[in-house]
Amino acid sequence: MQNTKEKILWASIKLFNEHGVANVRLQQIADEIGISVGNLAYHYRNKEAIVSSVYDILFEDFGHILSQYLQSPSFADFDRQILLYFEFFKTYQFYITDLFSMEHALPEIKAEWQLFMNKMILQIRTRIDFHINRGELVSETVQGTYNLISESIWMTIVFWIPQQTMRNKPVTETRFRSAVWNHLKPYLTQKGLDTFEFSLPVLSQN
Amino acid sequence: MAQRFQMDENMYHHLLGRLNELHQTDKRGLLKDFDFFHNDLWLADTAVVEELTRHKGEWQVNLVFAYTVNPMRFIRRQITSYSCPRKATLFSSLMRRLAAKDQRGTQEIRISSIFVCKN
Repeated sequence: MQNTKEKILWASIKLFNEHGVANVRLQQIADEIGISVGNLAYHYRNKEAIVSSVYDILFEDFGHILSQYLQSPSFADFDRQILLYFEFFKTYQFYITDLFSMEHALPEIKAEWQLFMNKMILQIRTRIDFHINRGELVSETVQGTYNLISESIWMTIVFWIPQQTMRNKPVTETRFRSAVWNHLKPYLTQKGLDTFEFSLPVLSQN
Repeated sequence: MAQRFQMDENMYHHLLGRLNELHQTDKRGLLKDFDFFHNDLWLADTAVVEELTRHKGEWQVNLVFAYTVNPMRFIRRQITSYSCPRKATLFSSLMRRLAAKDQRGTQEIRISSIFVCKN
């Protein structure tokens, strides 16, 4: 059972996704959960306080995903993390418009985003190193290739849902996972291919 | 916004590298990885001697494990300390008996075998 504060936050997330953070008024949020603006103001003194609390939840969720790094030494581990990213970016779709808004009401949010994004790229790059050491990915022939691939994977994870929405294409988790794995597939060794087919049979058929 | 724990990017990279090493377990090992086992084999044939020393106002219990073949080969381990000397004596004796337990019978060394240079 959600309390009023949680209801306000989840209604805000829903409205932010639909209309963008800048376009949502307190009255809309209050209407969404059927309370008065006065009651809403009792819990959150203004919209900035709501946005700040929404980002607190968002960053906590993101921190949780990052903490799932290499729980087990298999491709399935990365796949689990990819799925978590998919759920995350689907739940908080408003991030894309808000992230690129010219003047953000809370500049510390931008700084926090940058930190998280850099950590995410670093994780992807280190995970590639891990699989190279296990002989599942080929060693780098041209220096910097895997740095570029890490950034491409990151771009796919972060921007895949908005680009699919923009192109009016279906947003499904299998397509999302395939889009990410397709970056790595050409670099799999024979051992990597065998492991991939064994641990992720659904994706290896695509 | 709530304050979150921040970690320097280089340190985070270092941490991820260490996490990677946690799973590198299916590599073929080397024979010298077992050196510790061979090096410590002599410990199976040691006599245990208790020793009490005064340290920082307390009686410290040490156990000396000396090789029965060559008593000059020994290790000394600090176990615990007590403020009461009688208690320290009693417990050091109990600890020695516990540590010296061997199916072949208690192993002993002659104290005269230990050559102490008094210079």
